[in-house]
Amino acid sequence: MAKKTNGNYLSGKEIRAISKANAKEMKRLEAYKKRRASESEFLTQMKNNDNILEIDDLHTFFFTEQGVVKAVNGVSYDVPKNAVVGVVGESGCGKSVTSMSVMRLIQGPTGQIVDGSIRFKSSEYKLDEKGSPIPKADGGYETEEKVYDIAKMPIREIHRIRGKQVAMIFQEPMTSLNPVFTIGQQLDEVTLLHLPGATKEIAKAKSEEMLRLVGIIPENVYNAFPHELSGGMRQRVMIAMALAAEPRLIIADEPTTALDVTIQAQILDLLQDIKNKIDGSILLITHDLGVIAEMADYVVVMYAGKVIEKGTVFEIFQDPKHPYTIGLQKSKPTMTLDDSTELYNIPGNVPNPINMPTHCYFKERCAMCTKKCSGDYPGMVQVSPTHFVACHLYDEEKNNG
Amino acid sequence: MAEQLNKNSVVYDDEAIVAEFQAKRKLQIERDCAQPFDQQALLEVRHLRKCFPMKKTITGKVTKELVAVDDVSFKLYPGETLGIVGESGCGKTTTGRAILKLHEPSGGQIIFNGQDITHLKSKQMREIRKQMQIIFQDPYSSLPPRDTVGGILSEPVQVHNIVPKDQVKDYVLKLMDKCGLRDYYFERYPHEFSGGQRQRICIARALSVNPKLVICDEPVSALDVSIQAQIINLLKELQREMNLAYVFISHDLSVVKFISDKIGVMYLGGMMEFGTKEDIFKNPLHPYTKALFSAVPNPDPTAKMERIKLEGDIPSPANPPKGCRFHTRCPYAKEVCKHVPPEYKECEPGHFAACHLL
Repeated sequence: MAKKTNGNYLSGKEIRAISKANAKEMKRLEAYKKRRASESEFLTQMKNNDNILEIDDLHTFFFTEQGVVKAVNGVSYDVPKNAVVGVVGESGCGKSVTSMSVMRLIQGPTGQIVDGSIRFKSSEYKLDEKGSPIPKADGGYETEEKVYDIAKMPIREIHRIRGKQVAMIFQEPMTSLNPVFTIGQQLDEVTLLHLPGATKEIAKAKSEEMLRLVGIIPENVYNAFPHELSGGMRQRVMIAMALAAEPRLIIADEPTTALDVTIQAQILDLLQDIKNKIDGSILLITHDLGVIAEMADYVVVMYAGKVIEKGTVFEIFQDPKHPYTIGLQKSKPTMTLDDSTELYNIPGNVPNPINMPTHCYFKERCAMCTKKCSGDYPGMVQVSPTHFVACHLYDEEKNNG
Repeated sequence: MAEQLNKNSVVYDDEAIVAEFQAKRKLQIERDCAQPFDQQALLEVRHLRKCFPMKKTITGKVTKELVAVDDVSFKLYPGETLGIVGESGCGKTTTGRAILKLHEPSGGQIIFNGQDITHLKSKQMREIRKQMQIIFQDPYSSLPPRDTVGGILSEPVQVHNIVPKDQVKDYVLKLMDKCGLRDYYFERYPHEFSGGQRQRICIARALSVNPKLVICDEPVSALDVSIQAQIINLLKELQREMNLAYVFISHDLSVVKFISDKIGVMYLGGMMEFGTKEDIFKNPLHPYTKALFSAVPNPDPTAKMERIKLEGDIPSPANPPKGCRFHTRCPYAKEVCKHVPPEYKECEPGHFAACHLL
C-alpha cells in the first residue's frame, strides 16, 4: 500500500477521474474531426506568401489514463518554398507528432489536435461544373492554388492533400511497404489514385520513371516483392512512391536512421539530388545533427514539445544561442574532436511529459540558469531576422531592439 | 581485340585459387595456434571462425553454412579498449558473443588470461564468466521486468560469492553510487526508468562481479545524444577506476573513435583493417575504411567534403562474393580482386589490412 503515496503511481479512483474527463474531451474532438463542413470553413490565407507550410501554435495532446501528455505544446514554424527544413530533437520531443499532425495521421481517439492551425498552400486541378479537371492546351491540366487549414479540415476531406500534395517517407522502410503486393502494384496505385484519367499503362510508365529517378533499374524491381529488396533499396522505393504524385511537400521522418552509414550516404545524396529536380520543399525530421547540417537550409530545434530555437543552418550550427542547442552540439562526438578530454554532457533527463513545470522545461538541466528561469516559460526572442530563441538569457535583446 | 585482351589479362582458375588459399590458410592457422600464449595479453583471439548451419540433410549433416565471422585475430591488453566497427551483418556482434562463448566458435582459438577457453565446457566457463561480462544494446529488453534493481544487481554477486551474504546490500549500494544510480532506486522496477538509467543498471550489473573484460555490444546506439554522452563518460571513468578492458562494438564511428585505443574494421565477416586509433583515423589504408569515414555526416554546414561513394548494397553473407569480399563495391577494384582473396598482412608495425592494392 506504500505505493499509493509514491508519486509515480495513481490510485484506481484517480485513474477513473482522469478517464472520465478525457472521454468527454475526446468525444468532442472526435465529433469535430468527423463532421461535415463546407470548403469555406477550412479555407484560409497564408501569412507569408513565400511559405508553403505554416504551423502556428499547434497543440497535439494524447489523452492517456495517466493524464494528458502534451506531446506538441505550442509549436510554430514555417516551411518556405523550395527549401529543406530540418527538425532536430531527442526522442519524445514531439518532432514526429508535429509531422503526423500535418498528415492528420495522429491515432485517435487518444491522440487529438487540440488547438492551433496548420496552413498549407495546395495546388490542385481546377474542376469544371461536372467535377472533372479542365485540360490545358499544352497537355496536363489547369491548376489553382488554395490555402487550407489542415487542423480544421474534417478527416473526410483530407484526401485532397494527403499523398497528393504532402507525401511522407517513414523511418522503417520494411513496415511501411505492403508485403503482399509487388513494388509495381504499390507504385502504380499512387498514380491511379491521384492523376485524373490515368490508365494502367500511364501508371506503369510513371512508376518506372520514378524508379529510374531514385537510381533503381525498373526491370529488376517492378515485379519484386518488398522482402526481396535490401533496406536501402526499400527506402529508395519509398522515396519513389512519395515522388510519384509530384507533391509540393515531402515529409521525411528519420529517413536514414534504420540504415547503415554507407547506405545513409547514398540516400542523402539522392535526397540532395531530388531536392534540385523537383519543385517542392522537404521537411526533414531527424535526431542526427550531421544529417541536418548536410541537408537543411533552415533548422528547428525542439525540446519537450516546444520549439526552443529556429534559424538558418549557419546560425544554428555556428552561433547557437539556446543552452540546449549548445549542449547538444558539444555532446556529440565528432570525427575531428580531441578525445583526450571528457565528453561534454547535459545532466539529467527530459521532464515527465504529464506533469510539465510552469517554468522553462530545460531549467533543471541548464548550466546557464538564472533567477529569471524560475518564472514563466520564456517567449520567443528574435536575435536576427531569421534567428529565434526561447530563453530568458536573451530577454534583454528583445527589450533593446 | 579479343586476342589482345587474352594476352594482357591473366586467366584465373577460381577453383584452384580457392583450394590454394584454403591450404595456405590452414597451414597458417596451425602454425599460429601452436605459438605460445602472450602472457601480458588479457584476451587473444586467433583466427576465430563462426559458422551457422543454413541447410541440413535429414540425417542432420550440414550442407550449407553461413560464415558469420571468418578468420578474425587480435590481442587486447588490460585497461585497453578495442573498438569494432562495421555495417549491419558484418559479424561484429557474433565476434563479441563468440569471445564470451555465448556462441560456440567453429574454429580458431580464444585465449583469456593465459588460458585457452575455446573448448571449455559450460561448467568450467562459469568460473571464467566472472571475469568477462557483456552489456547489450537494448536496455529495454535486457532487464527482467519482474525484479527490482536491487534484486537484479544482487543476484550475480550472490551466485558468484563475491562478498559475504551480509555485505551484499552495502556492496550493491556502493556499486550503484559508482554508476550514478541513487540509493532509493534499490526498490524500484526497471519500467520506472528511462533508457539512459536502464543502461546504467545494465552497466552496474555487468560490473557487479568485478570483471576484467566487458563486451559492450552497441551500448549507446539506442540512446539520445545527450544521454549517450553521459554513458560514454561513465564507461571511460569506470575503465580508469577499475582497469577494465572493453571490446566496444558499434556502428557509430565517432563514438568508437572517442572511446577506443585500438580499432578493427569488419566487413562481411572478415577483418578488413586493424590498428591503433591513430593508425586507423590518420592513415586509413583499406578503401572500405576510407569510404566508411567519408560517409559519416559532418555536423558542420561549412565543411562540404568530397565523399567516396560506395555503390550498391552489402552482399548477402550467405552468398559472399569470390575473391576480395569488398570488390563488388570497391571503387578501386581490379581484375585480381575479383578472383583472389587478399592476404591479411601487417602493413606497418601493428597495423594490419587485407587488400591487394597495398
